[in-house]
Amino acid sequence: MDFREDSFMLILALAVIAFVLVQSAAFLLKAWKQGKRIGLSSATMKNTVIQSVLFTITPALAIVATVIALAPALGIILPWIRLSVIGNISQETAAATAAIEATGAGGITVPITDKTTFATVMWVMTLASSLPLIVLPLTLKRLQRGVKKAVSKAANPVLTDALAAAAFIGLIAAFIAKALAGVGTCAVDADGVITYNYDGAGLLSVATLISSVVIMLILSKIAEKHNVNWLKNFAMPISMFAAMGIAILLTQLLPESIAHFEFRPPVVS
Amino acid sequence: MKKERTYNDSIHAFGSVWSALVLLVLLSTPLLFCIRYDVWPSLSDVWNGLWPVALITYPTAVVEIVAYTPLLGSGGMYLSFTTGNISNLKLPCALAAMDTAGVKSNSEEGEVITTIAVATSALVTTMIMAVFVLALRPFIPRLTDPSSILSPAFKQVMPALFGALGASYFSKHWKISIVPIAVLTLIVVISGSIGTGVLIPIGVVVSILGALLFYKLKWI
Repeated sequence: MDFREDSFMLILALAVIAFVLVQSAAFLLKAWKQGKRIGLSSATMKNTVIQSVLFTITPALAIVATVIALAPALGIILPWIRLSVIGNISQETAAATAAIEATGAGGITVPITDKTTFATVMWVMTLASSLPLIVLPLTLKRLQRGVKKAVSKAANPVLTDALAAAAFIGLIAAFIAKALAGVGTCAVDADGVITYNYDGAGLLSVATLISSVVIMLILSKIAEKHNVNWLKNFAMPISMFAAMGIAILLTQLLPESIAHFEFRPPVVS
Repeated sequence: MKKERTYNDSIHAFGSVWSALVLLVLLSTPLLFCIRYDVWPSLSDVWNGLWPVALITYPTAVVEIVAYTPLLGSGGMYLSFTTGNISNLKLPCALAAMDTAGVKSNSEEGEVITTIAVATSALVTTMIMAVFVLALRPFIPRLTDPSSILSPAFKQVMPALFGALGASYFSKHWKISIVPIAVLTLIVVISGSIGTGVLIPIGVVVSILGALLFYKLKWI
């Protein structure tokens, strides 16, 4: 049996997954108890859970897609473990690629057959992502004190609100800028055949972004005007799914050259 | 008199213990593999693979910790950094939850809501991944294959997610939104393949400076 996907690897993965589930449940329980203590209603906390479940489904599927993308070289289990603890899409792909290149074992699409190479990749992916676990407990308390001080110094509620909103908007702007102007990627095989990933900014990304914003604004307006409480909770996931539906629809309806049009030529990944 | 232990103190202790446990679990995975198969990679191979990645991931991790601290509460921070996928999932999920619940970050309520949102998101992601990997493995490549009808949806997750999340902020704070979107778009135009991990801290700083300037000019 392929050592990358044998029962030993599966047991390792299941142990890690069980650990993550217990940890998350422990935090959830602790926060819930504190919520009760400070007078947050059960309805508000339940709504948070429901909204978060709905919000998570699609991005989680995109993470599953990364696991699949890494599977040809690493098998399915290691990417699954790595993306369940600390890992994120871009970092794990980069770490795996660098580790495979360091051992001279080929690329990310070539299956690893040597156990030592596989162990090297495991160590690199693990060590590349473990720093926050050391830095966070040492710094977080002090950082938060600094933030609290800065907020209390600002004192003026208009300014405090504006700065809090500005921090959110700065984060969101990074993704908006990528959707508006990001360069896509493509792969070139040994015969020189180019495969486009269609992941750059173009007609589809802008159409999806605008649809998502517009649908969200309309749904929020309706929810507010007619006081539809359930819609307030579901407006965000509905807008997301609807915008992605529009992306599928445009791909089906428009000629391929228009639907896949990107503003800038893709680079080889 | 003995000072009463606050929730914040207890969540820091709780988070530190869990961080140490996660580190242990994380390191034991490759270690157990090496013991089981009696294979020991050379330090130079590990180093050669690690340093080019660590050169980016280590400073990024530090910058992320600083940038996300004002946005996520203590519980949300510890859990986000141990379960991963922060900028593409945990953080937007927590922001959306605070927005809907009408609470602010850095408030007691914000602390609870972000932790609940991040914990729920981590539970759902872990379960979805487990179900897909174990049960639906043969079908996943077909769903995500470029020729699949669903493929364009998977490629557009980020614009869909951040469009919906940003909508209420853009409409409420449209003046503040203009500067960071314009500056970051310009940066991406100049350097098209710049990583999102680098863009986010730049965006947060530019946006805060812009808001301060507008405040001073009495535009907001």
